[in-house]
Amino acid sequence: MKSAFRTGCSTISRSLNPNPPSLSALHGLRSAAVAPSPRSLRAPTFRAASSATRCCCSSSSSSSAMSGGEASALPLEKQFEDFRAQLEDSVVLRERIRAVVLEIESTARLMYSSLLLVYLSRPLPEVLDKSKAHIGTLKDNYSRLADILSECPDQYYRYHGDWRSETQTAVSLLAFTHYLETGNLLLHNEAGERLGLNNSQFGLDLEDYLVGVLFMSNELPRYVVNQVTAGDYDCPRKVLKFLTELNAAFRMLNLRNDFLRKKFDGLKYDLRRVEEVYYDVKIRGLASDEDSTGDQRSKEINDSEVVH
Amino acid sequence: MKCCSAIQKIVLMASDSKPQRLRQWASFQSSAAKKTRTMTTQSSLKDAFSSYADDLNHLNDKREKVVKASRDITANSKKVIFQVHRISKSNKEEVLEKAHKDLAAVVDQYVARLVKELRGSDFWKLRRAYSPGIQEYVEAATLCRFCKSGTLLNLEEMNASLSSLSDPSHKPLQINILDYILGLADLTGELMRLAIGRISDGELEYAQKICTFVREIHRELTLLVPRMDEPYDMKTKMETMLQSVMKIENACFGVHVRKSEYNPLLGSGDPSYPLMGVAGGIDL
Repeated sequence: MKSAFRTGCSTISRSLNPNPPSLSALHGLRSAAVAPSPRSLRAPTFRAASSATRCCCSSSSSSSAMSGGEASALPLEKQFEDFRAQLEDSVVLRERIRAVVLEIESTARLMYSSLLLVYLSRPLPEVLDKSKAHIGTLKDNYSRLADILSECPDQYYRYHGDWRSETQTAVSLLAFTHYLETGNLLLHNEAGERLGLNNSQFGLDLEDYLVGVLFMSNELPRYVVNQVTAGDYDCPRKVLKFLTELNAAFRMLNLRNDFLRKKFDGLKYDLRRVEEVYYDVKIRGLASDEDSTGDQRSKEINDSEVVH
Repeated sequence: MKCCSAIQKIVLMASDSKPQRLRQWASFQSSAAKKTRTMTTQSSLKDAFSSYADDLNHLNDKREKVVKASRDITANSKKVIFQVHRISKSNKEEVLEKAHKDLAAVVDQYVARLVKELRGSDFWKLRRAYSPGIQEYVEAATLCRFCKSGTLLNLEEMNASLSSLSDPSHKPLQINILDYILGLADLTGELMRLAIGRISDGELEYAQKICTFVREIHRELTLLVPRMDEPYDMKTKMETMLQSVMKIENACFGVHVRKSEYNPLLGSGDPSYPLMGVAGGIDL
């Protein structure tokens, strides 16, 4: 890059230096063609001197040199000066977004580590309390993000990529917490509510929500395995039912060939793993206490298995 | 019914000899389930996902239409650019006139369709779907303007011409800075082709003018690269751009250096293009 730049510069000066005098000798002084060239010549050194300053094209000297030349030169510079200012603003905005996104990420990390206690056989209420304690912080983070973005209305999707993956993670953690608590799926509007992302100006993108849900499903095989190890033999059945329903629900969607589709394609592996665990438990009669308590329910499961 | 079995389970579990914490867990789980199970899992999930399906279908259809419109803009803008390249010393006026007519047709038909498809939606959300077409259009429009008047068509003018396409109830499609700048970066490639063509046609002065113009754009864009939304894409474009600038400069250099060898030819051709004979000998 650097060498390219240097060759670029040297070519400019090599080809420019002989140009003005010779051209003027040939055609007489053609201001349009010749006048701007000293400016271009000066450009590299000038830029090196003050590359970062916004108003580095002090056009006073150049415009006097070109006053007889193209009238376009000035508006051209003016336009790019405006661009620079506008893009600079967006850079500053991005930096501020980035700062909040880092906080979201670290809150999500804390929340994840709280949820991981579930594998350490801590009592569920404690795990849930610890995990839910972070939801408020997440909501605060998102409201700060919303404040920043309210400064540039209608540009939500311009910067959306900057917080996209963090939001997907946050949704997956919320959904997992919700599943542990209720055994149900956290719906889109509920997820939006928890994050404070339910107004029209700053909402939770549907595709982000769906990806988040699929992230959560990746966690469930591990959950099932560990629950069984800890002695909860009913867990595989419940999770299997949940995942089967979830899979059926996702199959209602027409997906494009994108990341969401890829994640959805992975759902069946989670499902299969849970099925295997359920099979292992069932074949050894470990889930037998469940069978004796509710014939009705085990019949239900068999039905859902057939459907699947 | 389900509540009943949940309670049953607790009773059973209590009589069991399982570890204490698991019992806690189970009772918590089932008491929570008591509250929510009644809301019926399956049907609400189905309802929710069928509404998600509608939303996704709607968005995907729209995106698909926008992509199609964008592709048409690209194809037809390319035709305009090819038309401009048919320029030669003698037919400048008519070639450019046709190019302008074609460009106007691109706006009236294809850009107008894009505007219609985008109507009422978030421009930034679908930007990736229409960005290539818009960039190509920027390229064609700025090329036409340069050939006509030697100036740069600026973004404000372009957007002003587009605002009439959409009906006043909706926010008009405005080309964003990023697409405009990316289009300009591509423009230099076309200008390079034009300059080389002009040199071989003997229009040295015109080539020189292009050279200055391209240099100016390159210089201005250099400062913008790190501030773009995707600086990486822009960086690769800038490298290509520098290649184009240098190609023009080297061509001008070649003509300049060799002109002394052809001095005897001066005056033998068209007096207004004294170097016409030279360019043919340059290896471009």
